[in-house]
Amino acid sequence: MAATSSQTRKVAAPPSNYEAVAWRWMRYSAIALIPLVWIHVILQDVIVGVHHMDLSYVALRWANTGWRVFDVLLLGFTFAHGVNGLRQIVIDFIPSVQARQVVSWLLFFFWLFVTVIGAFAIIGGVR
Amino acid sequence: MAGLKTALTGYATYKGREGHINFLLHRITGLGTGLFLTIHILDTALVYFNPSLYSEAIKLYQNTFFGIGEILLVFCVFFHGVNGLRIAYFDLLAPKNWAIPSERASTYWTWGITLLLWIPAAVVMLHSLLFYNYGLFGG
Repeated sequence: MAATSSQTRKVAAPPSNYEAVAWRWMRYSAIALIPLVWIHVILQDVIVGVHHMDLSYVALRWANTGWRVFDVLLLGFTFAHGVNGLRQIVIDFIPSVQARQVVSWLLFFFWLFVTVIGAFAIIGGVR
Repeated sequence: MAGLKTALTGYATYKGREGHINFLLHRITGLGTGLFLTIHILDTALVYFNPSLYSEAIKLYQNTFFGIGEILLVFCVFFHGVNGLRIAYFDLLAPKNWAIPSERASTYWTWGITLLLWIPAAVVMLHSLLFYNYGLFGG
């Protein structure tokens, strides 16, 4: 039996800490985001198109509870996935553990702030 | 600053060929989509917080500059999705594929599927852009 190919390497499973959980959730949310984002983009950008968007279109869509639930899931999954992705990229550029923690917390509050604003709008609806 | 320089030098000089291109594209398309997503959540929230400003934002999105941006955005969404699915599948279900031959082959698949999804979408969006903004095709 030949030695392990030089093109593959064995890596031990990482200890389960926050980063390991976040790493796994980037994959889980990716799978959820394929139908959520692609349906949203194909429908709104390609089929309907920005030239047919206005307040009454949004009101009509959100009159349907199903689409509101869809948009809540979209908001929850996309933005968390996006901000954590941004965090992973930014952290690559920062060697200091302390600075990484500061950036992570700042991005957490940024995520919370934008998500709360978005959630208010979906729940409140068109005024 | 040293961290920034090390990371950027690595981005520019690492000779990982297809896998490296996908790594960079995944980050660039992710950042692009994330930037638009942030703006998009806030502009859509205007329907509740300031409806008349929402109408202004939509008018802005209808101009040609944003129209071209939208076509690029859809490329970012499709590439990031296809490549993300490849990463999720390899990491969660088939880590043995993280070897140069299968990784290289899979990058070609991601490019092909991305273009297959993006080109028809881009044609439709470009058609609407020319129809509504320039009166072409009977618009």
